[in-house]
Amino acid sequence: MKTFIKTTLGAVAVATTLAAAAQSEPGLTDKSIKIGMFSPMSGNSMAYGFDVINAAKMYYDKVNKEGGIHGRKIDIVLEDDRCNANDLLAAVKKLTEQDKVFLLNGGSCSGPVVGAREYVEREKIPLVMLNASGDGALYPPSKYIYGAFSISQRAVGGSMVQFAAEHLKAKKIGYINHDDAYGGWNLEAAEFQAKKVGATLQVQSINPNITDVTAPMLKIRAANPDALLITTYARPVSLLVKKAHEQGWNKPIIIAVNGTADLKQLVENVGNKEAFKNVYLQEVMLDVPGGEQLKWVYDMYKQYYPDLAAKPGYPQTYMPYGIPSAMAVINALKVAGPQLTREKFLDAMSKLNFDSKVMAGPIVFTPTDHAAQKAAIYLRFDGENKSRVPGSYASAWTYQPK
Amino acid sequence: MKKRFSPDQLALLVLLTVLCVLPFTVTGYVLYVVNLLMVFVVLALGMHVVIGEAGQFALSHTAFYGIGIYTAGLINTSWHPPFVVSILAGGLLSAVLGYVIGFLALRMRDIYLALATFAFGEAMQWVFLNWESATNGSNGMRMQPAQLFGLTLTNDLQAYPFVVAIAALMLWVTVWLSRSQFGSALRAVRESDVAAMAMGINARAMKQAAFVISAAFAGIAGGMYTLFISFIHPESLGFQTTILILTMVVVGGIGSVRGAVAGAIAFGIISELLRQALSIQEILYGAILLGFMMFKPRGLFAGSKKRAAKAPAAHAQQGGTA
Amino acid sequence: MSLDEIWLFLQQGLLSGLVTGSVYALLAIAIVAVFKTTDVPNFAQGEMLMMAGYVALSLLLLAHLPYVAVIPLTVAVMAAGGALFQRVVMERVTGSRGVGVQLVIATLGLAYVLKGLVRQTGLGDTPRSLPSLFSSDTVMIGDAALTQLDIAIFAVAVVVMVLIYLMFTYTRIGKAMRAVGMNPRAAQIVGVRLSRIRMMVWALAGLISAIAALLITPKVLVTPDIAHIAILAYAAAIVGGFTSLPGAVVGGLLIGVVENMVGLFISTNAIVVAPFLAILVTLIVRPQGLLGGKVQVKKV
Repeated sequence: MKTFIKTTLGAVAVATTLAAAAQSEPGLTDKSIKIGMFSPMSGNSMAYGFDVINAAKMYYDKVNKEGGIHGRKIDIVLEDDRCNANDLLAAVKKLTEQDKVFLLNGGSCSGPVVGAREYVEREKIPLVMLNASGDGALYPPSKYIYGAFSISQRAVGGSMVQFAAEHLKAKKIGYINHDDAYGGWNLEAAEFQAKKVGATLQVQSINPNITDVTAPMLKIRAANPDALLITTYARPVSLLVKKAHEQGWNKPIIIAVNGTADLKQLVENVGNKEAFKNVYLQEVMLDVPGGEQLKWVYDMYKQYYPDLAAKPGYPQTYMPYGIPSAMAVINALKVAGPQLTREKFLDAMSKLNFDSKVMAGPIVFTPTDHAAQKAAIYLRFDGENKSRVPGSYASAWTYQPK
Repeated sequence: MKKRFSPDQLALLVLLTVLCVLPFTVTGYVLYVVNLLMVFVVLALGMHVVIGEAGQFALSHTAFYGIGIYTAGLINTSWHPPFVVSILAGGLLSAVLGYVIGFLALRMRDIYLALATFAFGEAMQWVFLNWESATNGSNGMRMQPAQLFGLTLTNDLQAYPFVVAIAALMLWVTVWLSRSQFGSALRAVRESDVAAMAMGINARAMKQAAFVISAAFAGIAGGMYTLFISFIHPESLGFQTTILILTMVVVGGIGSVRGAVAGAIAFGIISELLRQALSIQEILYGAILLGFMMFKPRGLFAGSKKRAAKAPAAHAQQGGTA
Repeated sequence: MSLDEIWLFLQQGLLSGLVTGSVYALLAIAIVAVFKTTDVPNFAQGEMLMMAGYVALSLLLLAHLPYVAVIPLTVAVMAAGGALFQRVVMERVTGSRGVGVQLVIATLGLAYVLKGLVRQTGLGDTPRSLPSLFSSDTVMIGDAALTQLDIAIFAVAVVVMVLIYLMFTYTRIGKAMRAVGMNPRAAQIVGVRLSRIRMMVWALAGLISAIAALLITPKVLVTPDIAHIAILAYAAAIVGGFTSLPGAVVGGLLIGVVENMVGLFISTNAIVVAPFLAILVTLIVRPQGLLGGKVQVKKV
């Protein structure tokens, strides 16, 4: 009898411990929170993620130095997703199932990160994007996914059309985007905005791997618009600006923020300062990169990464975009309290509203809108210097559930 | 009299034991990698049939893999049948398309066959990227969990036993084909069309059949993939993947079933281990390919001695090699 | 589309097409020459083109050499590399009783290694440019706009093609290459050193890769993706006739023009798939291409 009771009690004890262990959140201990981060850290898209993740890391480090959150320090696990959908999915699987992180804070490339939506929802793990626009994972909104800390692609398209119509008084607008989902998102809002302001769009959608842009540029020129908007990635931007100049185009060209990854290289690749007589850049931070209001970010970077900061080309253009994402995670963790669960974290995320002191607009989430940032400013770029055009130009598009 | 296990049977036994123990000891991520390896094995077996057994240098393998993935995925999303149906449908569609392409391409001689199938493979990737209404194009396609009579597969662990079972089945089919008269006929055609025809074998029909079978294998591999993956992007459905499978088969040993399996497992593991170090992966693959071609062109598990003896005789007929 | 627009597109498509087509033609010549002489379709041609671009870039950016020195050095390095590959790798493969399939796979191995090496240096992470020896000032021909660079590309490519033609027709080496391609045994009997000739043709392929890279990259930027240009060269070789050098030239120019016309009249999207369709159609309808002779029956 005694043995039987002992064994039963023993079994119950074991069972409860196991059950308790099973119920506790993955990636959490009393002293640490494990965060899985991923972005392109190598390869030909590293300009979109390498320094962004560095910025987020330095922010987490600062928080750790100040004592962490409710006594827990941030513990980071890194994966390189190479801006590639299949690699990103494998990275996310590894972080979630092998490293058992509490939440995912990653994604600099929209297309690939959208591909992880299904998995994230099945595994019920929070995903806070880094700087990806990620429209496809934000509309319709998912309980587990937050993003567009740089800006949503919808906002990109709408804002650019607004700028062209309002500041440049353009009625006929040339529009070159990519022929993929990403391009489709910014075009959707651009068309919406054009209708609103009474302008027409002349659209050419090009493959991201295009090498000869004669055909699309020729067609744009034939349509004779008042301004040209380019929402492609960086490499086609060089080709397009070059070709426009070769064809004698002298009307305004506006480059979306996703094409400005490496301006120095852009100027070198185009090879002719004359081509930048009438060029504008879209910017989603609250000041010119390196400007007074952003000094604190660049100073922090120099302090944390002195070797990198000394190299030419560093910090990379998009570095500061890592800050608002990490800030959002930290703020939500604080609000969620010491009895931390994923559910509480997600609940806190859905109510965030703060000024990151980095981006042009506030970081705002509601239960029905998980896209953080929607404002953009514009800079005049002559190949060397950037000067701010006053005003902020907003996109009117809003999500309509089908 | 003691009954001895052949090395093949021993290897299979060990493999089977490992596979049975794994789900209880490793994380879902490791099971994901194993699932992936199973898919690679089926892909490599398919390529083995067309290149190893029939000697046809066809470079369109990944196209049929992609067709299998999208077909199974679409059918599952639209009608939620038991996944056996989706996978078989993928295999069937691939087989039918394989028949058509085979019919056109097999009229050509080897180098032209290679180029034509290569062009077809690339054209198919373009279709995957641009036929938005069917494949969702470059946004990639989301997969819904597969199911079988009430059982839903939502993660790698749940899909695992089925993936392994299908791979085992395809392996059994390959071995059975290889040992059958059909297999002998294929190998005869591989060595010499003319000799085979003299023996009464319809060389053209044999090659066509091999092509269709390999396409079906690739299609079924695609179906297997949909069991445990939630999203597919056409980026990985191009020539690069065909080359990877080709590497598996060639390094494993052209004409050898165990070579194809070993090659698939080895290179599958390397590709996941080195996922973060792509340049090292590429240099490694290149070095392995160059090394093998230079020193052991027949691969690790070269074909039987009998076949090796026949080979030089056939090759002596051509000019062009020193 | 108005008649004026159509006429403009036709002119532009033709002229721009001839420019890029001349580079495709050069690469197609490299592919066909190697195939004719060694029976191996070189699946690493694109990676060789890419490598040439990055060799030039490294010499420029890392070794800080002046561009006038970079040009001949790049050509020399690529030619030597090609010859070395044939001598060290390909000969070993045939020496180990490797045949057609294995030789092709060896070229695939080369492609992998070149790709990995470039990726390892990290130079490919940003699109870069090589200095242009010619200005991008516009030259109007009819309604079409070309740049001085475009004209230079076409001119240089044509000159190189003429030189190669002269080499093949009149020099001993050229004749030897053709002989080896037609009948290696017979060539060997009359005293042609097979090994030496094969090395030379691979050196030629390397040399052409370098010239093509130096010509085209000021126009399209140096990225690892320029390897894809070789696909167009393959289409050119097939359309022209895989065993015909003049066919390679005709094929190259044709593919260049068709590529531009497709982009202008159909959609920029369709440009990517056009060469594959060209290959499929040619191989199904007329496998020997435009200028190829009767279809060779050689077992791979």
